Amino acid sequence: MFAIHISGGTPISEQLFTHVSELIISGALKENEKLPAVREVAKELAINPNTVQKVYQLLEQKGFTYSLPGKGSYVKGRADYQDELRQSATWDFTAAVTKALKKGLNTEDLINIIKKIGEKE
Amino acid sequence: MIKIQNVTKKFGTQKALDDLTLEIEKGCAYGLLGSNGAGKSTLLRLLSGIYIQEGGSITIDDQPIYDNPQLKEKIFFVSDDTAQFTGMTLLQMKNFVKTFYKTYNEEVFNSLWEILKLPMDKKLSDFSKGMRRQAVVICGLSACTEYLLLDEAFDGLDPAMRYAVKQMLIDAIIDRGVTVIISSHNLKEIEEFCDTVGLIHEGKVIFSRELDSVKGNIHKVQTSFEKELGIEDFADCKDIEILSIKTSGSVSALVIKGSNEDIEKAMESKNARFCDIIPLSLEEIFIYEMKGAGYDYEIN
Repeated sequence: MFAIHISGGTPISEQLFTHVSELIISGALKENEKLPAVREVAKELAINPNTVQKVYQLLEQKGFTYSLPGKGSYVKGRADYQDELRQSATWDFTAAVTKALKKGLNTEDLINIIKKIGEKE
Repeated sequence: MIKIQNVTKKFGTQKALDDLTLEIEKGCAYGLLGSNGAGKSTLLRLLSGIYIQEGGSITIDDQPIYDNPQLKEKIFFVSDDTAQFTGMTLLQMKNFVKTFYKTYNEEVFNSLWEILKLPMDKKLSDFSKGMRRQAVVICGLSACTEYLLLDEAFDGLDPAMRYAVKQMLIDAIIDRGVTVIISSHNLKEIEEFCDTVGLIHEGKVIFSRELDSVKGNIHKVQTSFEKELGIEDFADCKDIEILSIKTSGSVSALVIKGSNEDIEKAMESKNARFCDIIPLSLEEIFIYEMKGAGYDYEIN
């Protein structure tokens, strides 16, 4: 079940979407695994089921899940949401680089870090 | 669809609702917000046909509600005070509701009763305030109406009771597509439960929109400019509206109406050194919208 702390501020749909898509991207939710039913999630988090429905629809739209009529939503394989993944990774990396540059690192420093990590992989 | 058009309601010379216009879509969970005396309860009573307005019209699916028993059968109103049922036991109240609502479903009542197991033959006046409210909500849900109006829905309920009531409402929304209209002071709860919110003040509508669009369109921005800027300095940024700027040293905090993209563009155009966009809570939005409508609320 989704262990999410609903906080005021960002729309709940956004919080839930981020949480579930991260679970999928990280592999915590596996390919072809069934997502809990909309009713279950809404009741557990005590939020509007229409919000959960919206999130599930967006997940499908973005290629993270597929649905079987009458059965529910299932996680898709990584290959299917490659674009989303690349976009998300690019975004994260850009933010990290921007922050590092502001804190005083230069391009050479950053390239060295990337090289170091690359060697370890 | 509920259509409230140019409705005015007076009590003596006091105008409780002043030329109010509002639409509520079927199937939504609508949160009615406003301070005490804003007109929320009056609006709900007009919607359930308890009161009649002096001016304007109120229709549900294009039919007027007042004096319309067939339409009234589609609506259940849970008042903020449950005084009218205190002389009865839960069994008597249940039967009373059954008489008026053809859509009443005994199975629904039983399954809801199982969750709370409230005493059936104790007078409601002997119940605690929270239990009394729960009792009325159970009867209301068992009536299986298309519309459920809850005045101060969660008031007087402890967290466990609130959770239980929400569970029941969620099931009803999924199973029957019931349209729930909740008035509340508890913004956090409205924020979590409702998809559309309307703010009423002094009998008028300040705004009525889908919650996501309300939140998506107003943000707090933490940033830093080369020199101190005022609202006038943003006059050329046509896609956004600066509601407030507070500068302390070299850091500024702004409240801006506009999308994330437009805000970023505007900040860039003013050579902002960095730009942190933070969402506002419903409470903060409430205060800024009121200020925007010309009502003076102190913001610290």
